Amino acid sequence: MPKVIDARGLSCPQPVVLARKAMAEADELTVIVDNPTARDNVSRMAQKEGFKVEVEERGEDIYLHLRREEKAETLPLRSAPSGPTVVFIPAYGVGRGPEELQEILIRGFLHTLNEVEPLPDTLIFINTGVKLTVEGSPVLEDLKALEEKGVGILICGTCLNYFGLTDKVAVGSVSNMYSIAEKLLGAGKIISL
Amino acid sequence: MEYGVVVFYSTSWALKAEKVAKEGGFEVKLIPTPRQISSDCGTALRFRWEDREALLDLLESKGVRIEGVHKI
Repeated sequence: MPKVIDARGLSCPQPVVLARKAMAEADELTVIVDNPTARDNVSRMAQKEGFKVEVEERGEDIYLHLRREEKAETLPLRSAPSGPTVVFIPAYGVGRGPEELQEILIRGFLHTLNEVEPLPDTLIFINTGVKLTVEGSPVLEDLKALEEKGVGILICGTCLNYFGLTDKVAVGSVSNMYSIAEKLLGAGKIISL
Repeated sequence: MEYGVVVFYSTSWALKAEKVAKEGGFEVKLIPTPRQISSDCGTALRFRWEDREALLDLLESKGVRIEGVHKI
């Protein structure tokens, strides 16, 4: 008889916390929740931990049957590209759209790089992206933490010079197009923001 | 250092809260809402847990609507 966790009536993140605790001690368990957000959050966490999830709706309640999968049954690792991962940051923001939103997104992204795996090998800041690396930038703390973990930070010297920011650089190293081109060409994977 | 996050109903409230908090001298940071809290509340304001009461009072006095507060 699998263990049953009753997480009905609890607000997030309690169902996930309870489920995770129980998963550490059991290979098979049932978590009962009463709303779609808890269902999705618990399911996602369980799948990430290598559990198979079956969802069963009983009236208002949602029963999540979790079973740890044998290693052999888990999907084979996707073939990772060989060579370093480079993140190319050519703007003070992510994507196109309202500047305010672009800035929220780049701040969020650089913060999150410190919290997820795997770390990139190198970040390249170019064009208005260089403004993220100078005094007063809202992401300095995050970039310094990444640098301490061994992530290389290359900043376009031409760009710094263009904006008159050369002496304001507060993290990473000022670089030139030779090094930047070599990093890009030698990369296994380039993530361009 | 113990931290908490304030989550909001919208990104614009998060931005407003950041502005108000910084003007109030609080050490805060806008971060993506931590995964364990919710998958869709978007952007959250991280703060030092010891500042909790003072910060929440300030946000309330400035009319910032918040969805919830979590310790992280």
